[in-house]
Order: sequence, then structure tokens, then C-alpha cells
Amino acid sequence: MSLQTPRILPSHLHAFHPSSAGSHTTYTVRLLGTVTALHGSTGTLTCGNNGDVTLILKSDARLQVGKLVEVVGKVADLEGGQGYGLRVLGSTEWGDPADCDYKIYEQVVNATHRFTNIFYNVE
Amino acid sequence: MDGGYNNYNSFGGGGGGGGFMPGETNSPAGGKTGDRDNKTLRPVTVKQVLDASQPFPEAPFQVDGADVANVLFIGQVRNISSQSTNVTYKIDDGTGEIEVKKWVDSTTADNMDTDDGKAPGDGKSELELNGYARVFGSVKSFGNKRYIGAHSVRPLSNINELHVHLLEATAVHLFFTRGPPGGAGAPAGGAAGAGGDAVMGGADDYGAGQNKALASMGPVAKKIYSLLRTEPQDDTGLHMQVIASKLNLPATEVAKAGEELLGAGVIFSTMDEQTWAILEY
Repeated sequence: MSLQTPRILPSHLHAFHPSSAGSHTTYTVRLLGTVTALHGSTGTLTCGNNGDVTLILKSDARLQVGKLVEVVGKVADLEGGQGYGLRVLGSTEWGDPADCDYKIYEQVVNATHRFTNIFYNVE
Repeated sequence: MDGGYNNYNSFGGGGGGGGFMPGETNSPAGGKTGDRDNKTLRPVTVKQVLDASQPFPEAPFQVDGADVANVLFIGQVRNISSQSTNVTYKIDDGTGEIEVKKWVDSTTADNMDTDDGKAPGDGKSELELNGYARVFGSVKSFGNKRYIGAHSVRPLSNINELHVHLLEATAVHLFFTRGPPGGAGAPAGGAAGAGGDAVMGGADDYGAGQNKALASMGPVAKKIYSLLRTEPQDDTGLHMQVIASKLNLPATEVAKAGEELLGAGVIFSTMDEQTWAILEY
């Protein structure tokens, strides 16, 4: 089986955390947002009006503040029990956030989890 | 959004009108014709392609119980391998990963892929590793491996196009598993609710077939069908005159629409030619 990376919003992070009771076969997810801050090994991704997610970056990550990016990563615990973050495995830059209608993405996430059988396998 | 759904109605009509029920192998000209008559281009996810079933070897692939000739999907290019005769891409759209083979045609490559002459050659230079690509092609298999024989692979630059594609794929999936929105949705609910996908199992398959048949029919036929579903009746169903008076329609129209339903095998005549009941399994 090939790797599946469902698209999510910050509110779904807990459902894809490895400890989660809902046992998805995959814990790797995709998240779309604007990079709003970078502090060395972490960054902040703002997902429209759906809140922020802390990104745990690899040393070779080349993110730029103010750009829209799609990140593929694994849900992880943040240091000091600050909730969930995303350990970034890869990212795709999409340029100016104004060129993307985030509402469409919200609908895609909604469809992904309502009609899972065409998007990802749920155990 | 409503306008968009109506389009699905009309292409469902094409399928129903053609009279090719999925799995009907003894059609006049044999199995191969489906391939040529079925000119649909379906938006799909890679997972749907990987899950597609094949009723028998060499048969057209089926997604949601409907034959697919050509598919369309958008994903990230994870690998590019150029050979002398073809270029193979590995495409990942977040739902799965599949190989896409694009044959290199030295005679047409120049004028097809580049209209401004900026990038001479095979056009593959425009596609970047990990960049998004829009793929249009047909589902093939070689041994146990499934791949896409691509007609076109082009780079994608607008993220909205990606998202809209995923929504389109969902809408078309729901059309085939649950029937068109509104109206005929109710009977399909049962078929789709059970397993989600009509691909599995013969019974579900038939349910989806019935809905597709119904989707292509006129409004009167749909009214008759829903009346037959909801109206209390015994095993013999309802007489045409009763239907006509209940629906407040002239008997001639009811008779005509009844013919449609009978022809599609959605209803059957019981006591006599004018008494109909829903054909259910």
C-alpha cells in the first residue's frame, strides 16, 4: 500500500495523533496554510480562520514567511506539553496566499473525512 | 453548484441510454465496444484508480460500478524517469501513488506541448520533481501492476484547480454511488449506505444501475417511480389509471413514461400490462 496523506485542518490534529483511539492506518497528513513566523527549528502555520499550527522543521527546510505552503508531516507532541504540532517531512510552496481561496480547501477537508473511501483507508 | 449537478444528470443519461449495463457482456458487438463508446473523462483520486475493479481480464476498469475509459487526476510528481520511448512519472495525490507513462512521440511532441516554442523538446522539462501535475489518460495494467497510459501530463500552478478537482471527484463519486442529488436520492441511499461503494457485491451494483437508469428518464417517469415506492399497495402494484389520477396526469403520458420504466427494467407489469410494481431485489 502506498502512502496516504489526508488533507486536514488544525482541529483534526488530535484525530491523527499516534495515540489517538481512532486508529487510522496513516498518521501522515497534509496541511495548507500561510507561514506567519519562523524561529530556527520551529515555525507557525496559519490555516485561514482555523487557527495556527506549530511546525517542527528539518534543518534543510526552506520556508519563507508570508508564503502559502502545503506541508506533509506527522502529528507530534510539542515540547513542554504545549499540545500538538506537525513534524514537517516535506513542503510545497504555492506563492501568494491571496491566490488561494481557503474556503475551497475547507470544503476539500470536509469531503475528505466525510467520504473517506475515495481519499484514505480507515481501519 | 446546481448547474454543475445538472451536467452530471445529462452524462448519466448517455450511459443509461446506450443500454450498456455494467457487466453485460453479451451486448451485440461484444466487450470491446464499451471502450469505444464510452468517451467519458472522469475526475478521480489515485486511490479510486488503485481500487478500480475489473470484472474479467481485458475488461474495462470500473470505478463505483461504472466503466471508466479516461481518467483525470492531479498529484505531485515524486519521480521522473526518462526512457527513449517513454517518460514514467510517479504521481502522488495524497490518496495513493501510481505510475504514469507518457509515450514520447517525436513527431508531435514539439507542436503539441509547446505552443510558444519556448521549451523545445518533449515538454517534460516543465514538470518539476515534487511539483504538481495534471494527468489525463486511461487505466492500464501490466501483470499485476496498474498504471496510467497518459495522453497528457502538464504542470499545475493554481492550487484552487487542485482543490476543485478533488471536490469534482467527490461529486462524481457520489453521483455514481448515490444517484443524482435530490429526487432519486432516496432509493440509492440504501445501496450506498451499506458499503459506501457500489463496486462491491452484485446487489449493490444493481441498485446503482437502477439509479443510473432512472437518472436519464423524464420527470413523469421519476414521479411514477417515487409514487410506486411510497404509495401503500399489495404485491400486484398499482394500475396505470390509479397512478394517473394520483399524479393528476393524463393517462397517455403515464403510459409513455411507464414504457420507459418497463424498458429499463426498473418496474415490471404484474396482473396485466397496465399494472406495475417496482422491481426489487
